[in-house]
Amino acid sequence: MDEILRIENLHVSVDETPIIKGLSLTIHQGEIHVIMGRNGAGKSTLASVLMGHPAYVITEGSIFYLGQPLEELTVFERARAGMFLSFQYPVVIPGVQVGTFLKKSVQSVRDEPIKGRAFRKELNEAMNTLDMDKSVLSRYVNDGFSGGEKKRLEILQMLMLNPKLALLDETDSGLDIDALRIVAKGINQVAPQAGCLIITHYQRLLDHVKPTYVHVMIDGQILMTGGPELALELEEKGYDWIDVVPEA
Amino acid sequence: MKYSKMELPSRADHLWRYTPWKRIHPSTVETIPDAVPFRWEIDEGGVLTDGMPRVMADGEIARVFLSELGKTGISLSTDGTQPVVHIRAVASGHASVGHLHFDCDKDVTVIIHLSGEAEWAGLHITGSVKSNVRAAIGFVNELSANSKLLRCEDWTVQRDATLEMASLSIGGFRCKNDLRTRLTGTGGSLTQAISVHGHDQRHVDHHIEIHHDIGHTTSDLHIHAACNDESHSISTGLLTIAEAANHSDAGQVFKNLLLSERSRAEAIPELEVLADEVSANHGAASSPVNSEQMHYLMSRGLGADEATSLIIEGFMQDGFSALNSKALVDEMRTRLTVHLECELMR
Repeated sequence: MDEILRIENLHVSVDETPIIKGLSLTIHQGEIHVIMGRNGAGKSTLASVLMGHPAYVITEGSIFYLGQPLEELTVFERARAGMFLSFQYPVVIPGVQVGTFLKKSVQSVRDEPIKGRAFRKELNEAMNTLDMDKSVLSRYVNDGFSGGEKKRLEILQMLMLNPKLALLDETDSGLDIDALRIVAKGINQVAPQAGCLIITHYQRLLDHVKPTYVHVMIDGQILMTGGPELALELEEKGYDWIDVVPEA
Repeated sequence: MKYSKMELPSRADHLWRYTPWKRIHPSTVETIPDAVPFRWEIDEGGVLTDGMPRVMADGEIARVFLSELGKTGISLSTDGTQPVVHIRAVASGHASVGHLHFDCDKDVTVIIHLSGEAEWAGLHITGSVKSNVRAAIGFVNELSANSKLLRCEDWTVQRDATLEMASLSIGGFRCKNDLRTRLTGTGGSLTQAISVHGHDQRHVDHHIEIHHDIGHTTSDLHIHAACNDESHSISTGLLTIAEAANHSDAGQVFKNLLLSERSRAEAIPELEVLADEVSANHGAASSPVNSEQMHYLMSRGLGADEATSLIIEGFMQDGFSALNSKALVDEMRTRLTVHLECELMR
């Protein structure tokens, strides 16, 4: 399978505070990687640094996306090259209608003019998949949205942008059971053509999305990797049993 | 009182502090220059009639000046056959002036487009919204980038009438807007939304007066100014609630988006509340572009310029969110989008 993402010995700091301390990970097309871990372990930092958030500084290590050093790409170039981040806390953009935003975004990523009718058809199909009401298109981006609506909008964008690498940062947080199932449907639709990195606290998403690998991230490092059964074990036992330092 | 006998306003006067009279006057302040009348055009659904009564507000220099400058005005009437009536006023020559009067006696949406290459344009709009009528009035300033604009408006809102006003300021080099509304009838309601795009060295001054003369009236003012380059936006608001105007409800929000280090914005709400049982609030905020919004949009493939443009568009459009008239909001959105796309291509 094609390599999508390769992270080698990554160290990342925020305001000179080290957050990620030597993380390595490789994702191939069609793989779904899940990262679990306590709050503050550096999971969201990893997603943010991959998407090029300016607050995060890579102090050591390297990241390759589709074989190209990621640092060579600006944020929008990463998006246009097929990277997508579903934000943990999607921002509100008052005054910008969802429909306008989606069209501009799709147009930018595809780098070609969009034909109105074809775009509407595609958008309708994606919204139907996610059981979304069309009225959302005239609302302002995330303005007055419930937590579940925001997450659905993130997944809608993912479906429309059809990424090669989908990063999902706690997309399942705050979703009820029905919404969770719908969001999982969106992820499963994208996953075969893409590499997926899902950050989550809960095993319940994995009832609907079958991971290839589950990684446990603690204190900025991946300390354990396993299959889907690892998520079940974490749900039952927590994280304390993993990061116990063996006695010398 | 005639203009020639009037004392020139000092900068100590709240109204003239940021845009002194001599800076908005078309020539030297002692003179009343020759001015050509605006060329007016109107779409189906309305009629413009010559011969509006001249308006001379006692003691207010801009209104007296405009009154003496323009010898005649026009009156607007609508027949209710069209959902939106568009009026185009074109200003040309060294100085150009227009007076428009409109008594709204039926539900109506009117959009006034001001354009042209005049070095100086003066516009006075007066009107009233009759009892139980819902009026939506839009104004789009699309004057040439080198024009000066002096614009005064005076409206009254009668019993159980609703006036929604939208103003989009995207044209002209130096613009002084003095917009006043009196709520004279119980149940009267005013929603006023103004969006300003400051670019290059634009200087845009909005002075908004809202007077609650009687109780059980509501007003809601939103001014959003996005300032780039070396532009300067000034928003001053005077809200008065008369002693007899108990149970009035008034709010004013001023927001500024500062897009460059050399842009400036002033937001100065002022309240005079004489009644005891009222709700009155005001707020002002200025900030640069939100870096998280930028990152979000760029993570969706938009370049920095496109992302900034979309944030500006959203910010300015959001100023109109309080309006209920969909036709008014849509018209403002269309004009704004076209303007910003042109700006992006410059």
